[in-house]
Amino acid sequence: MTSIAPPLLGLSAVSKRYGGVHALRGVDLEGRAGSIHAVLGENGAGKSTLMKIVAGVVRPDEGQIRIDGRPVAFASPKDAAAQGIACIFQELSLVPDLSIADNISITNPPRRFGLIDRRAQRRRAEELLARVGCEDIHPLSLVKDLPLSRRQMVEIAKALGRDPRILILDEGTSALTGGDVERIYAIVRRLRDEGVLLLYISHRMNEIRDLADRCSVFRNGAHVETFDTDARSDDEIVRMMVGRDIHTVFPPKRAEARAGAPVLEVRGLTWAERLRDVSFALHPGEIVGLGGLEGQGQRELLLALFGVLRGVEGEVLVDGVPRRISGPGQAKSTPIGMALIPEDRKTEGLMLPMSVADNVTAASLSRLRRGPFIDAEAERRSVERMVERLRIKVDDVRRPVSTLSGGNQQKVVIAKWLLNEPRIVLMNDPTRGIDVGTKQEIYQLLRDLADAGAAVLLFSTDYAELIGCCDRVLMLYEGRVVRVLEGGEIDEMNLVAGAFDLSLAAPPAAAGAADGGRAHVDGARSDAARVDARGSHV
Amino acid sequence: MRLALPTFDRPSLLAAGSILVILLAGSAYTLSMGGAATFLTPGYLLQQLQIASFLGLIAGGLMMVILLGHIDLSVPWTLTTAAVMATAVGGPAAIPLALAIGCAVGVVNGLGVAYLRVPSMIFTLGVNTVLQGLMVLHTGGYAPQSQATPLMAFLATGRVLGLPAAVLVWIAVSAVLVVILTRTPLGRAIYAVGNREAAAYLSGIGTNAVVITCFALCGICAALAGCMLAGYSAKAYQGMGNAYLLPAIAAVVIGGTHVLGGRGTYTGTVLGTILIVLLQSVLSVMQMPDAGRQIIYGLVIIAMLLAFRRAGGTEG
Repeated sequence: MTSIAPPLLGLSAVSKRYGGVHALRGVDLEGRAGSIHAVLGENGAGKSTLMKIVAGVVRPDEGQIRIDGRPVAFASPKDAAAQGIACIFQELSLVPDLSIADNISITNPPRRFGLIDRRAQRRRAEELLARVGCEDIHPLSLVKDLPLSRRQMVEIAKALGRDPRILILDEGTSALTGGDVERIYAIVRRLRDEGVLLLYISHRMNEIRDLADRCSVFRNGAHVETFDTDARSDDEIVRMMVGRDIHTVFPPKRAEARAGAPVLEVRGLTWAERLRDVSFALHPGEIVGLGGLEGQGQRELLLALFGVLRGVEGEVLVDGVPRRISGPGQAKSTPIGMALIPEDRKTEGLMLPMSVADNVTAASLSRLRRGPFIDAEAERRSVERMVERLRIKVDDVRRPVSTLSGGNQQKVVIAKWLLNEPRIVLMNDPTRGIDVGTKQEIYQLLRDLADAGAAVLLFSTDYAELIGCCDRVLMLYEGRVVRVLEGGEIDEMNLVAGAFDLSLAAPPAAAGAADGGRAHVDGARSDAARVDARGSHV
Repeated sequence: MRLALPTFDRPSLLAAGSILVILLAGSAYTLSMGGAATFLTPGYLLQQLQIASFLGLIAGGLMMVILLGHIDLSVPWTLTTAAVMATAVGGPAAIPLALAIGCAVGVVNGLGVAYLRVPSMIFTLGVNTVLQGLMVLHTGGYAPQSQATPLMAFLATGRVLGLPAAVLVWIAVSAVLVVILTRTPLGRAIYAVGNREAAAYLSGIGTNAVVITCFALCGICAALAGCMLAGYSAKAYQGMGNAYLLPAIAAVVIGGTHVLGGRGTYTGTVLGTILIVLLQSVLSVMQMPDAGRQIIYGLVIIAMLLAFRRAGGTEG
C-alpha cells in the first residue's frame, strides 16, 4: 500500500451535490500508474459523477484532486486533457456525419499552412485504428454507417490519439460484440503495461475478474472499499454494491410446457439482405430469446414485427389472423397489442426533457381519453400505478425524465408500454448499461408478464440473461434462424456455438439442433463471423 | 406540460416585465413632453390589443409548427392568398373559403414536410413563392374585386359590448389552441414530436398526422388573420402579409418557445405578441425615425432572447 512516489491520481474528501441530492460525499480514492482500476456500483452510486469530476466535465463542491501529488483544478475538460486525462463515455461522443478520420482528430487536427492536412489526418486515423486492431475500418467512411460496436472502437482509437496517462472507460464494452471485446482487453492490458492508469466502469463481473487489478466499490455516493480484485469473491462484491444479498438473480422459469395456440406466428419473414426466411411462433406465457452475435438481424426482426421497416416480405399472423402491420400506431392497438422496448432509450425510448408522467402515458393517450380530452384524473392514477409497480425512484412525476438515473429511465420506457397492457412484448437489449438491482427487477417483471399471459421476445447481448430468462432461444446468424435452443440446451456452450453457426462435436441435445436445419460446420462462414459480419457491410 | 397555461414560466415573466417597462418608459416620455399618460389609458390599451390580435392569431398558429421544431415561412402569402381569394368571391362564402385555402396550404406544407421529408424551411419557402406567383397570375390580367365583406370589416373593427371584436376572435382562437395544447392527446403528441420524433413514432404516435395537423392549424390561423386584415384596411392587396412573418416568429420565440421545438407555453406567445406590438407603437409615438425604429426593434428582440437564454437555462 505504501509507495514512496505519490499515486498518479488522488482524490480526497470530494463531494458533489445536485440540488438536495448528494451525488458524491467525501470520497477518497487513489489510482496508481500502470494499473487497471475498476469502479463498481449500482447506477446512481456516483460512479459517473466521479468520472466526470476526474475528466473536468463537472467541478466538485468540496475536496481536492491531485495528479502526481500536485493539487489540480480543472475548469473544463480541456484542462483535464492537458493533464493527460482522456475518457470514453457511455454516451458516444462521435459526430455521425463526419468521417472516422475527422472524428479521431476532431479537437486537434493536424495542420499545414493553417488548413487541415487531410493526408496526415488519414494516416493518423489509420495508425490509431491499427492500434485498436481495427485495420478493417476505412478511415474515410462515415461514423453513421458503422454499427454501434465499431463506433465504440473508433471512440477508443480517438481517446488513444491523445496519449492519455489516465484513461476512463465508462461502460467501455457494453456496446461491443465478441471479437471487439477481446481486442479491447488486449489494448487495455497493453496500456497498463505502458504505465497508464485505467479507470474502468463495468457492470460485467467476469470482465472485471479478467481485467482489473484493483476494485473500488461505491454505494449511494460514498466510497465503500478499495481492494485487490482477487481478495474478494463475486458474492462479497455484489453484496457491497447493493447492500443486500442477491440469492437468485433470475426468477424461476415456467415449469410446464407452452400450451394453446401461438399469439404470434411468423412465416418466411424476409427484409433486404438482413432477414432471410425467418419463421417461428410465440405462445402466450413464454419468454423467447434472440441470440447470436450482435448485428445478425435481431434488431431488424424486432423492428419488422413492429411495422417500422418498409418492404418486409413474409407473413405475420396474430392469433392466427394474417396482419400487415403498417407502423407502431397499428402494432400497439387492438387487436394486435404489441410493444417494443427499443435499443436506445435516450433517442428512441424517451422524450428526455418531458416529464416522467408525460413519458409514461405517451403510448396510451387514446386509452386515457374522455371525449376529445385527456382524462386528467385517470392519467394521474395510471402514472401513480406504474411508478409504484415498477418502483421508479422519482419524488415528483412532473420532473423531466432526463434527471433520472439510467436504470430508472429504462423503467419509465417499460412503464410506458405496460400501461398499454401489451400481449406481445418485443425487447431490444433492455438491460444494457443498467445496474444489477434494476436488472433483477426487470427479469422478475418479464416473468410476471409472461405468467400473466403475455408473450415476450427478448434480444440480449448478455448470454447470462438468455440462459437465465428464456424458455427458448432462437439463434440468429446472418439474418437466419440457424438453431432453436430449448430448456436445458440453453447454456453458454450452445449459445456461443450457435452464434458462430457451429454445432458442437458432442452436442448435448442434437435433436433440438435439427430444428434450425443448418447446424453443420461451415468453416468459411464462421471465420467471417469472427471478423464481425456487420463490420464488412461498411 | 399540462400546466402550459396557468404557470408563468420565466420567459413569460420576463416578457410581462418588459411590457410594463415599455409602457412606463412610453408614459414617462409623453408626460415629459407635457402631455398625459396616454399609454396607460384603457382606450389606448384596447386599441393596441386590437392591433395585437392580428399578429396574435398568426403567432398562435405558427407556434404549433415551431413546437414541432419546424417553421412555416409560407405564412405571408398564405395570408394574402386567403384574403385576396375571399374578397374576390365575396358574400357569406368569403371567410369559409379563406379558411379552406389556409387549411389546404397547411396540408400541402405538412405533406411535404412529413412524407417527402423536405426541411420545412425550404418547403414552406417554396410554397410561399408559388402562392405569390399564383396571386400575380390571378390579379395580373384583370382587376378582381378586392373589397372586404361587411363581416370581415366587423371582425376587424367592430365592437361587442365595448370590446373590439378582433380581440374576442383572438381570445376564442386562443382558447381553442390552449385546450388543444394542454388537454388533448394531440397537444401531448405535439410536444412529444417536438422533443424527439423517433421516440414519439416508436410510441405509436401518428407523427405524420401530427405534423400535417399543425401546419393546417397554422394555415387556418394565417387565413383568418388575412380576412381580418382585409377587413381592417377595407380591402385585400398583394403583399399584405409580408410585414407579419418576422414579428410572428419573434413573438413566439420571445415568449419562450424553443426554436428547436418541444418546449413553450401559449401564455408566452400571447405576451410576446403584446410586447412586440407595444414596442412598435411606443416607438412610433415617440416619433422615432423609421431607421431608428428598426434598429431598436431588432436590438430589443436580440436582447430579449439573450435574457431568456440566461433565465430559462438551455439544453441542446
